[in-house]
Order: sequence, then structure tokens, then C-alpha cells
Amino acid sequence: MFAVLILPSFRLSAALRWRAELWDAPVALVEKAGAKDIVVACTPAASAAGVRSGQPTPQALARCAELLILPPTPAQERALDAALLEVAFSFSPEVEQTAPGICTVDLRRAGIRDYDAWAKTAADRAHQCAKNVQLGVAENPDLAFLAARNARQILVVKSARDFLTSLAVQELDPPPQLLGILHDWGIHTLGQLTALPRGELADRLGPDSARLWERAAGRTERLLRLSRVPETFAESAEFEYEVESTEPLLFLLRRFLDSLTARLAGLHRVTERMTLELALEGSQRYERDFQVPSPTADPSVLFRILETHLETLRLEQHPVGLRLVLASALPSHDQFQLFENTLRDPNRFGETLARISALVGGGSVGVPVLEDTHRPDRWRLAEPRFHESTKTTAPALPMDGIPLRRFRPGFSANVQIVDHVPAFIVSEKALGAVIKAGGPFRLDGGWWDARDTWTTEEWDVELADGSLWRISRTDTAWQLEGSYDESALPAAKSNIVPFRAV
Amino acid sequence: MQANSAIAGLRALLAEKFPAAPPRKSGDALPTGLADFDEKHGGLQRGVVTELHGSTGHGALFTAAMMEHAALAQHYLALVDAGRTFDPGSHAPHTLARLLWVQCTTAAHALKSADLLLRDGNLPLILLDLQSLPLRALGRIPANTWHRFQHVAAETTCAFVVLTPQPIVEAARTRIHAENRWNLGSLTLRRKELLGGFALQASARGALNEQRIA
Repeated sequence: MFAVLILPSFRLSAALRWRAELWDAPVALVEKAGAKDIVVACTPAASAAGVRSGQPTPQALARCAELLILPPTPAQERALDAALLEVAFSFSPEVEQTAPGICTVDLRRAGIRDYDAWAKTAADRAHQCAKNVQLGVAENPDLAFLAARNARQILVVKSARDFLTSLAVQELDPPPQLLGILHDWGIHTLGQLTALPRGELADRLGPDSARLWERAAGRTERLLRLSRVPETFAESAEFEYEVESTEPLLFLLRRFLDSLTARLAGLHRVTERMTLELALEGSQRYERDFQVPSPTADPSVLFRILETHLETLRLEQHPVGLRLVLASALPSHDQFQLFENTLRDPNRFGETLARISALVGGGSVGVPVLEDTHRPDRWRLAEPRFHESTKTTAPALPMDGIPLRRFRPGFSANVQIVDHVPAFIVSEKALGAVIKAGGPFRLDGGWWDARDTWTTEEWDVELADGSLWRISRTDTAWQLEGSYDESALPAAKSNIVPFRAV
Repeated sequence: MQANSAIAGLRALLAEKFPAAPPRKSGDALPTGLADFDEKHGGLQRGVVTELHGSTGHGALFTAAMMEHAALAQHYLALVDAGRTFDPGSHAPHTLARLLWVQCTTAAHALKSADLLLRDGNLPLILLDLQSLPLRALGRIPANTWHRFQHVAAETTCAFVVLTPQPIVEAARTRIHAENRWNLGSLTLRRKELLGGFALQASARGALNEQRIA
């Protein structure tokens, strides 16, 4: 058995996808044809007022003064087509994208016993994609197509002969000349056509009539041109006006995510990455990738990530279009070590990091990673991957002494040298006689690159007040690099909070 | 004593993994890896604000101790560094891998970042290092900020430690005072040796915490 999903008025459905309330209003989709604007599709309300496909726009407006004219939305058409394909893939891996808004599914290896029950479930799933999807089930692809086209919502063809007998010949879209001849003969239904002997019909009217007869008898067989499962899932919308606040964007993003995650769930997949694209005024674009820390199909989690970002986003131009692309993956199942701690809610953690990054700047949050150099204070911040099973592989190197507190930038200092050893320091932070000094620790590098050659001489010093500092000299300039231990500062009484131990 | 410490560690791990489990009993704490301190106090109390005050060296060494223990116990910690003075070069790479470092330039940013991490509740240990800020800036932090932190911390299983040069955290349920003296020779000692002699004195506030620490 085969199933066909059809989205009638596909282009209009795409244009009204996120504006379902307009289905009850007189709306026409208008496309430029040469010098004229022609109506290509319209809502039932517009049809009732006399608007028809092929009419020039002025004529349509003359028939219906309240007619709302919409332009085609190619991006939304592509998104809707992809959505329909994804729904089809949730039924079977063997799917053909027959035409825009039409998918054919091979169900022969799906192991379905009750096609009526299956069709109801399948239709419910398809309606998450678009409310007006029609589903037809029959023994071959062409018959299933006819069933879908003539279904109110669902039509399961159990007897091809009974179904086809009363259908008009026009349903098979015969060549106009052939249709004229058949009508002249008084042949109007497929039942009347198949009552004629096939061979004699072909002798008189040619091979087209033989193919028409086969289709009318429901006997055609063809191979499906199979499509591949999409790796990305996208939704998009084009605005008729410039969006000036985040509310409309958030409203649409929530609906996008509800739709996309439902499609993902149908394929048992989760989202591992999102891409938000904003089309801005003046052909500018804004694009941002979001890595989902713990891949999920939960729309609320994904929405929070986008909402957090949009809250802090500042653009010079207003958005005129929106596109959201989800990259899917199979759910991962990590086996953690017995005593390994990972994050309870990695997505919430990711959201918190995004908020902190927005507060202190993106380059100020992360996991410090030392660079492979002896040059002081060389490190970079890596993105935290705490949610992954991370058995530490770095060797547990023993460290010495008190960790340095490094001043960024360092304080300039005047250092008096006696017998090649620092004897007195004057700087903004440290002042006093050096009672003990360790050094010099001479470091240099980059000698192979004239632009990046560096050399420095470091000293650890202890001052008379007990404080410990690191100072350094480059060429002739001294600098206070940091402190190991500054003497406890004199108590400022107003700042001390009384604390009673009980 | 070693067995007690292991059981406390196991409890802490189970609480981390199964947050929906029955509420913790008093005495639940995050071990610090500082033998004396853990023996006396069981570790850092979860769900309360703890203040460690002392010289800057104490704060840096305490941070190093927490990082060492996090690597050992395989948990993560966050350091909200208000003065951007943390030096990655002073720490072993395997301890850095478990640290989330948040660099802030103002007290307001540091407080807000710590608040976000505390509310997030994913990391078992959050250190808010204010030791590098001038006292004038610390004095401008409203007292109710710390009460708010205490209120938020009570809803989590995080250990939240504020490192300050002087006692300023009015709402701190536990206050740790450090009075070690070091000299230039200390800089050549193995850090393990330094931590072995790292003396911390904790005092608790309120009946509930008195029980916990006892």
C-alpha cells in the first residue's frame, strides 16, 4: 500500500501558515505574470465573492473590495514543503517528494494491518504541519494520489474499481485533445472509460489513451524517486513591515519551535544546534549559531536559549524576515562513571552562561586553558563542556607556593637596585624596603619571529611589612606583576560587620 | 575519620545525582580536601553563605585548595573573580579543566554573576572573590544583598563562599578566618605542604548552623 499527503492550495497555505485567522477572510495570492498581476490562489471567502484564479488583480478587487492581496512567500513555501516531507518520513523511510506540497509514502514494509486506524493517526500527525493536509491510501502511488485529491481529510481505498468508477475523466489530467474526443463519445467517468476495450482504444487514439486507460483501471505501477531524511529542520517567515521589538519575533519563534520539535519527535531525533537568521532592512543579515548543551526536543528549553539571546541583542536595522534552522541528531545516551558529577540541567547552565556572557562580555567567561608557551599570563578561555563525561586526562602536576594574584595591567614601579638585587620598591600598590628577594628568573621567547620577540626578568620579593610580590623588568622598566600575599589591610571600622559566634 | 569523610563524600555525590531524594540532614557539607577543616567542620556548608576573610594570599590558596579537591572529587566549581586577578599559570591544567572562571571588573557585575550561578544551581561550589576590590567599593554593597544571597542559597545545594579582605558579609551563616603568615621561602614549598599547614578557623551563626558545624 502507498499513502499520499497532499496540501491543497499549497502556495496559499504557505503564505497563511502563521496567519491562520486569514483563512476565513477574503485573501488572494497574487503573482506577476508579464506586465500584469494575476490571482494564483484564493481563500474560500474570496471564491464566494467571485474571485477566481487567473483573474487580473483589478478584476478581483472589482469583485471583492475587501480582498486582501498577498505576495508569494518562497521561503515559507520551502519550509512548508520540508515540513510535509518530514511528516512523511515519520511514517516510512521510503518517501518521494512528488511535487511541492505532495509526498508519496511506500507503506509496504511498514507492517500495518489496520489502514483505517493508521490513517487516522497519520492524519493527526500531518495536521500538526498544516490543518488542511489530505491523506489518501491505496494499493499503488497513482491511485493513492487520486484518493488524497478526492479525500475530505482521509480516504482509504479498499476497492480500486468502486473508487474509480464514479470519478470524472478530468481527474487524470488527460491531454485536452484526448479529453475532447472522449467527451464527444459520451465518456465522462473512469468507469465508462475502462468499459471500453483497451487495445481498440489504443488503436484508435494512440498510446496516450492506453496509458490513460491503465490509470483509469488503477493498474499503473511506478518506482518512487526516494528522498533522503533531512538533517536540518527550518521554518521562516517574511514580515510585511519592519519589526521594532522582540515580542513578535519571540511569538513566531515559539510557534516555529513547537512545529519543528514536533517534527523532530516524529523522527525520534533531538536538536543539537540552532541557527537564527534575521533578514534586516537594506539586504543586511544577522546570523547566530547556538550549540544546545544537552541535545533536546523540548521546545521550552530551546525557546529560553533564543529568548535569552534576543533580550540582549541590539541591531542597527530592523528585522524584516526571520528564519530558524535546527540541526538534528540522534539522542545520546552517556554512561557516566559511578562517582562522576555532571551538570543536573546542562541546558539551564548554558542559559545561565549566556546571561553572564551578556553581562560581563563573551570573552570573560569560560574554562581557562594554558597556552603552550613560557610567556607569562598566556591563556585562553574555552567554552565549558561540563555536561559531557570528562574523565580528566591531564597529568596531576604538583604546584609550588601560593598562587599569584596577577594585576591586569601591572602597576608601574620604581625599584632601587643594590648589588644587583631589588632593595626598595615604590609603586601604587607596594611601598617599602625589600628584606628578601628571589630571582632573577629570566624568561625569553619568540626569538625566531622578529615581531614577537619578548624577554623579561622576574623577581619574587618580600617587603618589610610581610607582603609578598612579583615584580618584573622588561628592558629598563619595572612593573609590579602581582601579589602572593598582601598584608591584611588596616581595618576600616565602618566596614567591619560585628559577628557574634554562638 | 577517613571512613567518615568518605561517607560524607558519598552522601554529597548522591545528593548531587538525585536532587529529588529526601531532604538532607544537618551536617551535610561539601568537603574541602583540607584535612583539619573537614575533620572539625565536615567541610563547607551547603545552602548557606560562607565568608572567608583574610589576606589575599589566603583567598588565593583557598581557591587553589578548592580546585585541587574538585579535580579529585570530579565536580566543578565557579570562580567569580571581581578584580580579574586569578592567574591560571599558578594552577595545574587538570584543576583548571574543572573551573568556570567569570572575570568581572566591577562589584556589581560580580554580584550579579554570582547570583545567576547560584540560582542556576548546577555547580556545587561557587566562589565569589572580592579580595582584589578596594574597600571603598566593598563598602558600597548594600547589606541586603547578602541577605538576598542567603535566601537564594537556602533553596540550593550549592556551597557559596565569599572571599573578602575583611568581614563585610552580614548575612554569612559561617565565617572562616585565616591568619597564616608566609615568607619568601613559602613560595618554594610544594603547595600540598602549604595546604597541609593551612589553618582556618570557622565560627557559625544561629542555632541551626551551630548544630551543623558541631
